Amino acid sequence: MPQLGFYIDQSRCTGCYTCTVSCKDWHDIPAGPVHWRRVTAIEKGEFPRVFVAFLSLSCLHCAEPACVAACPVNAISKRAEDGIVIVNRDACLGNDDCGLCKEACPYGAPQFAAEANARMQKCDFCLERWGEGKKPICVESCPMRALDAGLLTEMEAKYGKVRSVEGFTYDTANKPSVVFKARTDELLKTPAPK
Amino acid sequence: MDEKIINTSCSHDCGGRCVLKPHVKDGKIVRFESDTGEEPQLRACLRGRAYRQQVYAPDRIQYPMKRTGERGEGKFARISWDEALDTVAREMLRIKKDYGNASILLLWGGGSQAVLNGPMAVERLMAQFGGYTRAWGAASYEGPLFASMATYGTMNTGSARADHLNTKLMIMWGWNPAVTIWDPNTAYLLAQVKEKGIRIISIDPRLTDTTAVFASEWIPIRPSTDTAMMIAIAYVIIKKNLQDQNFLDTYTIGFDEFKNYVNGEEDGIPKTPEWAEKITGVPAATIERIAVEYATTKPAVLIPGWGPARGSMGEQFTRAACAVIAMTGNIGKEGGYAGGFMRAFHSREMSLPRTTKNAVEAGAAHRPNSLYKIRGAGHPTAARMHEVHVYDAILKGKAGGYSCDPKMAYIVASNFLNSRPDVNTGIAAFKKLGFIVIHEQRMTPTARFADILLPVNTFMEREDIAPPWLGSPYYLYVNPAIESRYESKSDFQICCELAPRLGIPDYAAGKDAEGWLRFVAERAGDITDFNSFKKDGVVKLKVEPFVAFKQEIADPANHPFPTPSGKIEIYSESLGEWQNPQMPAIPKYVPAPEGYGDPLQKKYPLQLLTSHHKPATHSTLEKIPWLEETEPRRLWLSTQDAKARGIADNDEILVFNDRGKVRIRAYVTDRITPGAVCLPHGGWFEIDENGVDIGGCENTLVPRLHSPGGAWSANTALVEVRREG
Repeated sequence: MPQLGFYIDQSRCTGCYTCTVSCKDWHDIPAGPVHWRRVTAIEKGEFPRVFVAFLSLSCLHCAEPACVAACPVNAISKRAEDGIVIVNRDACLGNDDCGLCKEACPYGAPQFAAEANARMQKCDFCLERWGEGKKPICVESCPMRALDAGLLTEMEAKYGKVRSVEGFTYDTANKPSVVFKARTDELLKTPAPK
Repeated sequence: MDEKIINTSCSHDCGGRCVLKPHVKDGKIVRFESDTGEEPQLRACLRGRAYRQQVYAPDRIQYPMKRTGERGEGKFARISWDEALDTVAREMLRIKKDYGNASILLLWGGGSQAVLNGPMAVERLMAQFGGYTRAWGAASYEGPLFASMATYGTMNTGSARADHLNTKLMIMWGWNPAVTIWDPNTAYLLAQVKEKGIRIISIDPRLTDTTAVFASEWIPIRPSTDTAMMIAIAYVIIKKNLQDQNFLDTYTIGFDEFKNYVNGEEDGIPKTPEWAEKITGVPAATIERIAVEYATTKPAVLIPGWGPARGSMGEQFTRAACAVIAMTGNIGKEGGYAGGFMRAFHSREMSLPRTTKNAVEAGAAHRPNSLYKIRGAGHPTAARMHEVHVYDAILKGKAGGYSCDPKMAYIVASNFLNSRPDVNTGIAAFKKLGFIVIHEQRMTPTARFADILLPVNTFMEREDIAPPWLGSPYYLYVNPAIESRYESKSDFQICCELAPRLGIPDYAAGKDAEGWLRFVAERAGDITDFNSFKKDGVVKLKVEPFVAFKQEIADPANHPFPTPSGKIEIYSESLGEWQNPQMPAIPKYVPAPEGYGDPLQKKYPLQLLTSHHKPATHSTLEKIPWLEETEPRRLWLSTQDAKARGIADNDEILVFNDRGKVRIRAYVTDRITPGAVCLPHGGWFEIDENGVDIGGCENTLVPRLHSPGGAWSANTALVEVRREG
């Protein structure tokens, strides 16, 4: 089955949030708890040897998504033609009455608005844009060209098969459809005198 | 799809200027795309992407209003455009008659950086009205500009960004383009530099986003001490005889005087790395290592950012950097970099032409602390007060030594009170003025002080041209996406309607907006087809990558530097004539008032930095929900300083000095050098009943100081911090 996936270049990501804002604008999601794409900052080390990395993540359209298995009413499904995981919000039981997908997903992809029994929503790989031959809005908006999307096999061929980076561990059960480029950690090292 | 896509652009005062493509449905912007066209694509950042929430912000000023409460209270009543403009004209004519044009202050900012609207439109109107008083001194760059003019005689001292791919080493000094943008593809280019294996060193009090992602080494330094480290670098280079003496002999004057100062022959103090370590906090061995690395790696780029020069002795940093750069001969060469002001493209000269000179300034004496002897310095008139002295001028007038007694302020494209140092004094000054008229889009803290408030449209609702920032060869056309919302109008349109009421018969010289834009585009000389420029919304020029001073270096006999001596002036005779120990003829480390070592540190030990804030453009785009939720504005506080004060991450704290108090949350981090704190600038001030600014505006704390050359004291301000509650 063909599987679409993301490429995320953590070595380039400056944590600028353009991807998250463009996602909210494109999909008309108000400010608040719903973030189809999220950027987190990771800080470690002690002054003056400090490492900071950013991680931009959305739903990773897993090959074997735990959310699909967890949903008691089959509101979440995986499209046979491209592997995109989609949610039928009319069928969803809601966050208060169910919320099992949120518990099942290791990456926090399922999102719920701040309302009573909100229905699940999440990244749909910009399905509509994909149908028009355009890449997801996050990819097209990234000022660093640090994101890409396409067939996972193509992403692997182009960028390699790095599966885990700072702040992200590959989950062998779900098999998220993503490859990365990792950051180096030279700022943690004391520079050698020349 | 029934969506129409408009080709237009951002025109706010960030380091960008990017393509925006609003999708419009039923007269409403429903979403944005950005540049998907030919490379280099000009991709909008988060700020442009969130612009829909600016256009449809709930606090948009919808119709003209007059003040009904106390000034600053924010109480207004709706009036008609006729009543508003009649009132403005009546007040302006009265003040002109009673006090003269000099009593009219024109205060502007960077709310619009396009050529037709914003300050340009009103400046033309005011000139035709018989003149006005304005201020001098740019918040962002007066120090680097002054240093650039003093050393090189020009501000065109940069390189096309892509030229950094030709270098072998980059030193970023107080430069954070991942946030300040510095032309749309600069951070992207830094990624390519790093990927090419070119080593990048960052010297900065903060581990900025740029440093974190691109630098191979971070050298934290105390704020306001950068010049001391720069001069110690010069010491090491001289001591090891690593300077490019042939370059210095051929292209510069004054190296020997500089050397005498650096060696200590002049004042008995050799400026050794150990001397600098005590001031800067940077280990002497590190200074020595960096000096040798920079002097022996050719070519190498040293970028003296504007941040370290935004201090009360700001220009000395950029001047010292230029001296060190000249010592290594990295000027006029591919892969090198001259430093200075760092402009690499001419487009910022585009503007609506003034038909009348400002009569208030005609015949005024030269400003004594200007570089008027140096070609191209421009506008050095004593009829202007420095920007940081506008409040003092309002409060004291001629009795305080100023050129006028201000009676009214005409404010355009500026959240002025928020963006000038010392908010509390600003409030007192604004309460004293006889009349204040403000063009504004949203209810900013400054807008609340208007007597007449005029609603201005956003760049999504008007036509304009947006020239790029400093270094990229392109132009953007601003096409309106939607009708002006509510009763808002463009600045240009307001001026067109105000002019006849002021007795100005032909303000626009018979041209409409497009007519002026056509004129401006033709005058630029490199826009060949106006119609396709307007249709496409962008024209990307194919030009040779710019490298400043190529000719001057290749052929010095026929291409002198545009300085009085025709050479790079490490020593400036013009500055020597000032006889001011704070503005020596050669660059020196001069301890900065409210900087490191100021005795005031006993009371207020922490050095405040006021960086750019990623989710805002200065104070524009403040309180935009999509932006606010990305990165909250908090005070950067080192782990060490937080611990000493019992402060934990995200605690509510009070930041204070004698000028004011700011309540905000703490960002406790190892990303900032101990002793320094940083309040990202632009927060909208809100003074509560206890006199505490709960809006987080850095200017509540920043002093009304400027350097001898005009640099603002934005990064030299002393504060103390304590936990609240």
